[in-house]
Amino acid sequence: MDLVQQQLWGWNIATYLFFGGLGGATLALGILAELRFNLNKWFGILTSLLGLAIISFGLIWLVIDLINPLRFLLAFWIAGIGHSWIARGMVVITGSYIFGVLYAIAAFFGSTTFKKWMGYIAMFCGFGVTTYTGLLLNANVGVPFWHTPALPILFTVSALSTGCALLMLILAAMKSDEAEHYFHFVEGFDILLISLELLIIFAYLDFARLGNAAVMKSAHLLMGNPLFTIGFVVLGLITPLILEAFASVKHSAKGLAGVASILVLIGGFLLRYLITWAGVFQYPHGIAG
Amino acid sequence: MARYGMVMNVHACLGCRACMAACSQWNQTPFWAEDFKGKWRTRVTEIEEGKFPEIKRHFFPTICMHCVNPPCASVCPTEATYINKDGVVLIDYDLCLGCGYCIEACPYDARYEYELDDLKKDEFYFGEDARHHQAHVDKCTFCVDRLEEGLEPSCAATCVGHTRIFGDLDDPNSEVAKLVNTGEAKPLGNYMGTKPKVYYIK
Repeated sequence: MDLVQQQLWGWNIATYLFFGGLGGATLALGILAELRFNLNKWFGILTSLLGLAIISFGLIWLVIDLINPLRFLLAFWIAGIGHSWIARGMVVITGSYIFGVLYAIAAFFGSTTFKKWMGYIAMFCGFGVTTYTGLLLNANVGVPFWHTPALPILFTVSALSTGCALLMLILAAMKSDEAEHYFHFVEGFDILLISLELLIIFAYLDFARLGNAAVMKSAHLLMGNPLFTIGFVVLGLITPLILEAFASVKHSAKGLAGVASILVLIGGFLLRYLITWAGVFQYPHGIAG
Repeated sequence: MARYGMVMNVHACLGCRACMAACSQWNQTPFWAEDFKGKWRTRVTEIEEGKFPEIKRHFFPTICMHCVNPPCASVCPTEATYINKDGVVLIDYDLCLGCGYCIEACPYDARYEYELDDLKKDEFYFGEDARHHQAHVDKCTFCVDRLEEGLEPSCAATCVGHTRIFGDLDDPNSEVAKLVNTGEAKPLGNYMGTKPKVYYIK
């Protein structure tokens, strides 16, 4: 039995996983704000385009990671849509672009019904982008630490939390009553998401503590890495949770929520990097395999 | 239509690595990388077992398992990885995006990246006979071009100790089928549900 830490996926993939999730969540939550929380059309247009720009930035890193980046157009050859999460991911990403831009155009020209439908489909696609990044890793049967249903849930919750953090930073700079109202909604939602994330991380590590050899090794790698324990858990989860909980009862504490948002964003990135870094293959080679 | 498979008799492997040499010459895989762990379609790994003085040294040959249910094919976004009519898992290099998803998905470490630098080296060493013309993910093909000519895969053909036994699992008279059907040879990591067609006697 060989336990081998995976080397192939590193910073490039982690950067994509982070910005893909962040962009998808920003797109979905930004459109939600305009459609359901009465924020003005410019907020909807700018956040949807910002979300798409963030996804695009992430995709650059994905293309760089190809063996030959010039062959990236083959990614649109989605013959494997029935089984591969990269192919399905390409569909939701393309959908995000198409419906996100259509939504922005409709919002700009004030076409209410068309805008609403394009907005809902774009939100669905944006949510799909946040979800599929976890499912992508989940499909690797050779890495038992990834091959668990907890991972897609963790990544989805974390992506939505980073999306909330980015929107809070934008909303904190705005002065309308609607912005104030949505700010508090997002803040409350983020508190719920971070709490859930803590629960999932706890359950995940408890599962790993008792799991098979490869999963245990992954957990050891994470627990022995200060970037995870101090960087992600303490500074990226617990600190922003306390700050946001404190800020939520004080109406003038947007600065605290701003600091919490930046910590959440850094924590989200660390989470993606560390989870990919801690992937350990369990090759059944050897006499005992 | 056949169902090709291989049996590895680990006891017979003397660690000469002639299979690795033969494979890398025939298939032009990156032998120039000069390490025994990197880019090979087949590898022979040294394993030490036991505790001094009761220590044993084994040589363990590995290869693509040509799974019936291959995780590599199930993650391929372009269906570049496919199973041919004889049950051999192959890659269509023209369709390979080069994302490396299959390398991560393979639980047997059977795949590697054939990079742009490797293409240059391939052309340098083999000139007009170079067989790799684009960057792609590479893996064992059971020497599918040799099978078409009625030859064995080059690793099996060159194996000194009769470790690598190749044949049609559907032919009950073949040596592989007998070893597999009697239960003497068993697959690796069967718990993953991959149903490998490479079996081991250990």
